[in-house]
Amino acid sequence: MITNSIFLLLVSGLPYYIFLEKSDKFSSKSIFLLSAIMLFSAIVLSFFIHNTHSEILVMISFISAMYSVYRATQTTNFYKLAYYFIYMNAPFFLLFEEQGAFYSLSLLVSLIGLYSIANFYQKHYGSANYLYVRGITLATPLVGIHITVYLISIGLYPPLPNSLFFLTYIFNTEADLLWYIVVISIYFGNFLVSMKVLEKSIFGKTNPNIHYVDLNTKEKITHFSIIGLLALLSIYGIKEILVWVL
Amino acid sequence: MEKIILLIPFIPIVIAIMLGFIKEKEQIPKVSIMLSSMIALLALSGSYYVIAYDTQIVGFDGLLIYNELSAILVPYVAILGLVIRKYATKYMWDEAGYKRFFILLNFIFASIYLLVMSNNLIVLALAWQLMSVGLYLLVSFNVGSKTAVKNARWTMYIHKSADFVFLLAVILTYQTFGSFDLGILKEKWLLMSQNPINDPMIFTVGLLYLLAAMMKSAIVPFHIWLPYTSEAPTPVSGLMHAGVVNVGGILLNKMAYLLILTPMVLNIAFVIGLFTAIFASMLMLVVSDIKRSLGYSTVGQMGYMIMEVGLGAFSLAVYHLIVHGIFKASLFLESGSVIKYARKDSNIPERLSQKTFSDREIKYRSAKTFKLIAFFTILPVLTFIAAKIVLAPEFFEFNAAIIILAFAWLTGTQMFLSFFKVSKTDSIKVILGIISSFILVLFTYEYIGLSLEHFLYGKDSLLFYEAATLNVTLTMSLIVVALIMLLGWLFIYRKPACSSLSSDKKSNQTKWQYYRFLVKEGYYFDIFKSSKKGKL
Repeated sequence: MITNSIFLLLVSGLPYYIFLEKSDKFSSKSIFLLSAIMLFSAIVLSFFIHNTHSEILVMISFISAMYSVYRATQTTNFYKLAYYFIYMNAPFFLLFEEQGAFYSLSLLVSLIGLYSIANFYQKHYGSANYLYVRGITLATPLVGIHITVYLISIGLYPPLPNSLFFLTYIFNTEADLLWYIVVISIYFGNFLVSMKVLEKSIFGKTNPNIHYVDLNTKEKITHFSIIGLLALLSIYGIKEILVWVL
Repeated sequence: MEKIILLIPFIPIVIAIMLGFIKEKEQIPKVSIMLSSMIALLALSGSYYVIAYDTQIVGFDGLLIYNELSAILVPYVAILGLVIRKYATKYMWDEAGYKRFFILLNFIFASIYLLVMSNNLIVLALAWQLMSVGLYLLVSFNVGSKTAVKNARWTMYIHKSADFVFLLAVILTYQTFGSFDLGILKEKWLLMSQNPINDPMIFTVGLLYLLAAMMKSAIVPFHIWLPYTSEAPTPVSGLMHAGVVNVGGILLNKMAYLLILTPMVLNIAFVIGLFTAIFASMLMLVVSDIKRSLGYSTVGQMGYMIMEVGLGAFSLAVYHLIVHGIFKASLFLESGSVIKYARKDSNIPERLSQKTFSDREIKYRSAKTFKLIAFFTILPVLTFIAAKIVLAPEFFEFNAAIIILAFAWLTGTQMFLSFFKVSKTDSIKVILGIISSFILVLFTYEYIGLSLEHFLYGKDSLLFYEAATLNVTLTMSLIVVALIMLLGWLFIYRKPACSSLSSDKKSNQTKWQYYRFLVKEGYYFDIFKSSKKGKL
């Protein structure tokens, strides 16, 4: 039970961002970093500590996840969105234990991509708010491609790794009521939020009052590295699926 | 060496990556077309190999297969892809995102090839989902347009639901039958069909596959995404109507041996398909937007395809989807020039509503015309009887006869309208041309359907017909068709036949209400709008 509770806290199974958001010491950026580090610690720990899930804690994290879906639909800030996604996916990690670690790792890599995009927005457009910087696809296609890849990855579409690991785990495990609740909510929760953001961030006409800026070399390297990581995870994900299928 | 054919799904991905590095705009279509031609050649050689040696090409540890179904569909998709790329070369030239378009096009083609050639449910699931995201990005290609983005969203909702239903079906298939391999599953299903069992789980699995197919093939009530995606670039529309919507039919063909274990699912497919075919064809006639009209026409044809599946005519559904795809792609790719022509000619396009409801039209319906109409409505039935005399008796086993009747009826209705259009000039030649083309279509459809059936399923096709049979006798079918025709007559020609030509406000009101219902597309979108405003 203690291990379960530690995991619940580490993978953000409780919506502690409610308190952190109220504090002046924590910005959205730092809440994401904190959540990401804790999730990463949980991923590492899961490789060493064998643990069986507690249904009550999974249910608690599920309620937290549903609340986070609601919060994610209300925000237009990339930083906030990034940590809401961590909270939304917590039940998956708790339900599938160490098997869910690679899924969470892929999620983390995609979210780091989103975090880098948030940094880019803040640096060039003054804030990480995406709502008023429309027409990215037409003005700066490269930024548009990166946002699309990260959000499609989070939205659970193949051949990106999140979807591959998700499929491996759902095909690999026995389904019960809790399984259905978690899988369905994560499947549609991630999809609905990421599609909403995709629609409002990359689509739309270009705004003549905005000076659009493309990625500089350093940013390009960062994003290509993230995509490279996602590609590596995809290859591993395909391998996992093949091991299971063949 | 023949295993090289199995690389077909990966070639478009290579093309897409290559296009990413090309900087000269002129080179983008050149590279894309050149390498796509290679795919078409590979596909044709693969089909030759399968047909000539009567074998299948299996590779990647049994994950991919180039079998009889692939031998027909892959060359079709490859040639379609070639035509669309060639068309898009000039059509898309001035559009922003020329390179993006070609890259996305290659991704969606890769998913279609993968779907057709998959021999494993997991690979099928991956291709199934890959197609959804590719379609979303292509439908929302015109990113500056709010309506395009909104319609793409609806498309995505329905396709994501289809993905979920499909995944659920795959999980249940594995839990019930213990394998993902379609080859193994086929053998299992075939064996089980010898001793039919009434298992609710098999029914559920079959129904889930049918639901997934219905969503992707825009069958009522999941049709909303197709007619409203007409804002997508014309090559995308061509691809959607000739390629993407067909995946439902392809999936059901891959699951054919499962569906014989659950005849109820086939019966459901028949009823829903029939309803979609009639409802969407009526909508097609009244909507004023040419692309939307074509969209509803596709929905109707997909309904017809699902109906064929419901009757056990799986191979006929494959033939239908290919013929319809070629026909619809050519219509879409020509729609631009038709509009251009129409703008120069003040007489076209003629409004069907005006023709049907104007006084001029009522006056025109003389007794002579009525007799002619009656004759041309009966003609499909007469042709069917003639076909019965000419063709072998086994041809009419099970529900195959109903397909001919339904097809004759639908074609007859279309001929009806065409007849209306040409009657003013009293051109006997045109009428004769329509009749002969109708007979030609009917015979070609059935003869090629039979050959295809023999090629794809051999003797197993009888199992499908047996499973799908509705226990409806030929006489009953004829009575039903006659009743439908009678109702049609009464509805449209009640006034000239039963009463004088004087104005009848009440009768006209009913017609207008009916017309309004169709123009409003069955109030389908009003329901959504009301629910959004909180009225529901």
